[in-house]
Amino acid sequence: MDKLNMSRHISGKFNDELEAVRNQVLTMGGLVEQQLRDSLRAIETSDHELAEQILQRDEKINALEMQIDEACVQIIAKRQPAASDLRLIIAIFKTISDLERMGDEVERIGRVALESFNNDQQHFLVSLENLGQQVLVMLQRVLDAFARMDMNAAIDVHQMDAQADRQYEALTRQLMTYMMEDPRGIPKVMNVLWSARSLERIGDRCQNIAEYIIFFVKGKDVRHVSSDTLRQTLTGQQ
Amino acid sequence: MISVTPISSHTENLDLANLSADKTALAIRDLSLHYGEAQALYDISMKIPKHRVTAFIGPSGCGKSTLLRCINRMNDLVDNCRVAGEILLSDKNIYDKDVDVAALRRRVGMVFQRPNPFPKSIYENVVYGMRLQGVNDRRTLDEVVERSLKGAALWDEVKDRLNESAFGLSGGQQQRLVIARAIAIEPEVLLLDEPTSALDPISTLTIEELITELKEQFTVVIVTHNMQQAARVSDQTAFMYMGKLIEYADTNTLFTTPTQKQTEDYITGRYG
Repeated sequence: MDKLNMSRHISGKFNDELEAVRNQVLTMGGLVEQQLRDSLRAIETSDHELAEQILQRDEKINALEMQIDEACVQIIAKRQPAASDLRLIIAIFKTISDLERMGDEVERIGRVALESFNNDQQHFLVSLENLGQQVLVMLQRVLDAFARMDMNAAIDVHQMDAQADRQYEALTRQLMTYMMEDPRGIPKVMNVLWSARSLERIGDRCQNIAEYIIFFVKGKDVRHVSSDTLRQTLTGQQ
Repeated sequence: MISVTPISSHTENLDLANLSADKTALAIRDLSLHYGEAQALYDISMKIPKHRVTAFIGPSGCGKSTLLRCINRMNDLVDNCRVAGEILLSDKNIYDKDVDVAALRRRVGMVFQRPNPFPKSIYENVVYGMRLQGVNDRRTLDEVVERSLKGAALWDEVKDRLNESAFGLSGGQQQRLVIARAIAIEPEVLLLDEPTSALDPISTLTIEELITELKEQFTVVIVTHNMQQAARVSDQTAFMYMGKLIEYADTNTLFTTPTQKQTEDYITGRYG
């Protein structure tokens, strides 16, 4: 079903413009996902070459953000979108801004892969990897929800963030204990901590995108609403 | 919850379904209209609030102009036109038998799509309604002319040539002159039937600016084909389709999150 009802504008050109910009967002999201997956793999396999590639590829994401921004400005100026069209453009504006920032966070994660860790420190990387996988699933699901503008899938992603936050807190405690025990290892451990922080932020940004999807579908601003009350207010279910 | 000052100066949203009597200018109840066998309006019920701009939008033939014309009984002039239901103006049904239609039209003024000044001077156009009411005192008329032309944002442009023919004015000026003529007799409600569709974009913006000022004194009801115009000037918007009132809500809501699919399709330019 054409849930977005995009192909039914009287103006075929408007259809094409909206479709094109939406596809660009999905392309951009796909790139960020690829970057995140690669950065996790680079850490796992200590692949310095891959880590260098990640740093370079971030530019493509930045360029896409500017391109989509420009396309949205054109649509607003020429088409004066209203109702769901307007909400789609607003959701896109905000989504790409979050995707771009995710790209920056991934870049930071990639830098960890350039470090060498001793055996004692290796197990932090495993915890980092776990957190990374959790966040990667969130990103995949939120992009999937965006592609289908699926509100229920967006609510699911919104609720996954709490778990990512818990994993992040556990990892932080683990790292702090280690730093107290072995101050010489602090510089390296700090890098792990920054990466964990970046992953946690990516999870938050996935949650943001979930909110934009809900805004598009329902026209409701659900920012700063807890996950628990979210589903209740939107669907009337517990 | 921390409250922040709203960014826009937009008027607060009213609860249109439960509008109190003192805030209601017009209450339309179960209004149906037939032209001969053909039904043009189906059970329209809505309350139009005082000192606000209410817009009727919808595709051609949806009944929005017909509904507007019901409000000052312009449809009485059409053969075979039957109206059922009621429109209350100050709690009085304007379709009651004892209503004097001329008196009603003094309380409910109307401006049409094409500017229609009379073949008279600018001055005489404005005071036409006053003279009909038997007012001929020069000083009173002078005051009315100045007040009305100022109210219609035309005074500065014509004050030095009040005795020249109204036909010497541009289209936009003529339309503002017609608005001045309509407000000269101080109606309660002002009906505007596509007042800018024959005007250029700059004149259109001048009239739109004027509409926003007019609501201070009058209740304004506007029919427009230009959806963006409805979005710009009105406080609440009614979307009509095939003689039915589909959705009636404050304009901010209707143009961002309409609840009816037909409204959504219309304002986003999709096939209905």
